[in-house]
Amino acid sequence: MEKDELKEKIFAFMQKYKGKKKLKERDIMKGVSEEAGVTPDEVKKAMREMIDVGRLMYSYGGGASSVEIPSEEYLKEKGLL
Amino acid sequence: MKKHVTPLLDELEKGPWPSFVTEIKKAAKTSEMANDELGQVEYSFKTKKGYWKHGGIVGVLGYGAGVIGRYSDLPDMFPGVTFFHTVRLNQPSGWYYTTKALREIMTIWDKYGSGLTNMHGSTGDLVLLGTNTESLEPMFAEYSSRGWDLGGSGSALRTPSCCLGPSRCEWSNYDTMEACYNVTQEFQDELHRPAFNYKFKIKFAGCACDCVAASARADCSVIGTWKGPILIDQAAVKEHEKQGMNITAEIINMCPTQCMSYDGKELKIDNAECNRCMHCIAKMHKALKPSGERGATILLGSKAPIVVGSLLSWVVVPFIKMEAPFTEFKDLIRKIWEWWDENSKPRERIGELIEVKGMRPLLEAIGQPPVPQQVKEPRKDPFFFFKPEDFEKVFTKDKY
Repeated sequence: MEKDELKEKIFAFMQKYKGKKKLKERDIMKGVSEEAGVTPDEVKKAMREMIDVGRLMYSYGGGASSVEIPSEEYLKEKGLL
Repeated sequence: MKKHVTPLLDELEKGPWPSFVTEIKKAAKTSEMANDELGQVEYSFKTKKGYWKHGGIVGVLGYGAGVIGRYSDLPDMFPGVTFFHTVRLNQPSGWYYTTKALREIMTIWDKYGSGLTNMHGSTGDLVLLGTNTESLEPMFAEYSSRGWDLGGSGSALRTPSCCLGPSRCEWSNYDTMEACYNVTQEFQDELHRPAFNYKFKIKFAGCACDCVAASARADCSVIGTWKGPILIDQAAVKEHEKQGMNITAEIINMCPTQCMSYDGKELKIDNAECNRCMHCIAKMHKALKPSGERGATILLGSKAPIVVGSLLSWVVVPFIKMEAPFTEFKDLIRKIWEWWDENSKPRERIGELIEVKGMRPLLEAIGQPPVPQQVKEPRKDPFFFFKPEDFEKVFTKDKY
């Protein structure tokens, strides 16, 4: 699978859980790799590229970290919008 | 700059100890943040309430750790601390700094933050206290261009730390600083990009004196040990006694395994019973020293009381060679993380998971055999659980 296609699948996976469940990195690696039939490591690499350009972001709350789709405020703060 | 009146905080400047209030007051002469921090803390003391909010989404792009968002609940009263984020800088192994390095850190910090530091936080990082969200990216760019990096926070590997090891200590059984540096470099992803269910701390101590308190605070404690007998210089034993040491009371009776004896002429140690606790060696440093093969004991599970009660770590691997590139140790850590991730709930530390699941599934997952050294509390709290097939194997003499 092309990396760009995989990134879209990751984003769709994130949208599915938005507001329902806090996903940690490994949840995404596991979930997307099962759905897309790729290795967790491939998901990890694609996801991290998305985080590095602000398409996804890390968040923290209630003592635990998670990965989320960034808010407009975050993108503005990072100069990405 | 408005001057806050702080009669309650001023009380904390009295007495013989260094005072954080005095230090904040010094910083407050040039920093509005530090000045308003004084005001807010005084107000907290007055009302007996805390006004810091914590958490949220702050950090530098690509990193999920290293910055802890902090905000004032009273931004109108204390605008200087509307944002008061904490930044963790990864400390050098053994906390060695040159004065040039410290000046470099502070020059950047005075430019972007309150000027207040905590050296060091309990995990080991150099903690920079109080900056705003806009300053994070430019500040990080300046630090990273000079070779500094952020430490761990959140559900990530926390910044590994170590005692100063063989750089100044004759008792160190492996190069703790090299191990800490090497492991930190290896696990950069796990440090900066939180992927776990909760925090994971690794601390390296060169011997069981455990100057970094690994056995009380680290999820994984790497504590130096040795295999040979304790070498005894009987003349030096006499010398300790001559200088006023009560060898029976201070050494023999304090030995946790009662493996030592002294008849006034000769000190004897039953090395097979010794658990390498370092008490006798630390007390009689001129007379006793370890010998033979050196390495470390790997322990898992200690933590402070948050979520459930505090735990001390316990032995998982009694002896491992700790030599660069530390491949065996790194492979072991990866297996431990795999098992922890597969089985833990959110905010569950590895020690808590072992308490719930027992030691057996962990040992099976990481490929370690059960050995007597892993028994933490014999006859009280057995944590090896037998499966029906084990009894079958005993019956058919297939195992045990």
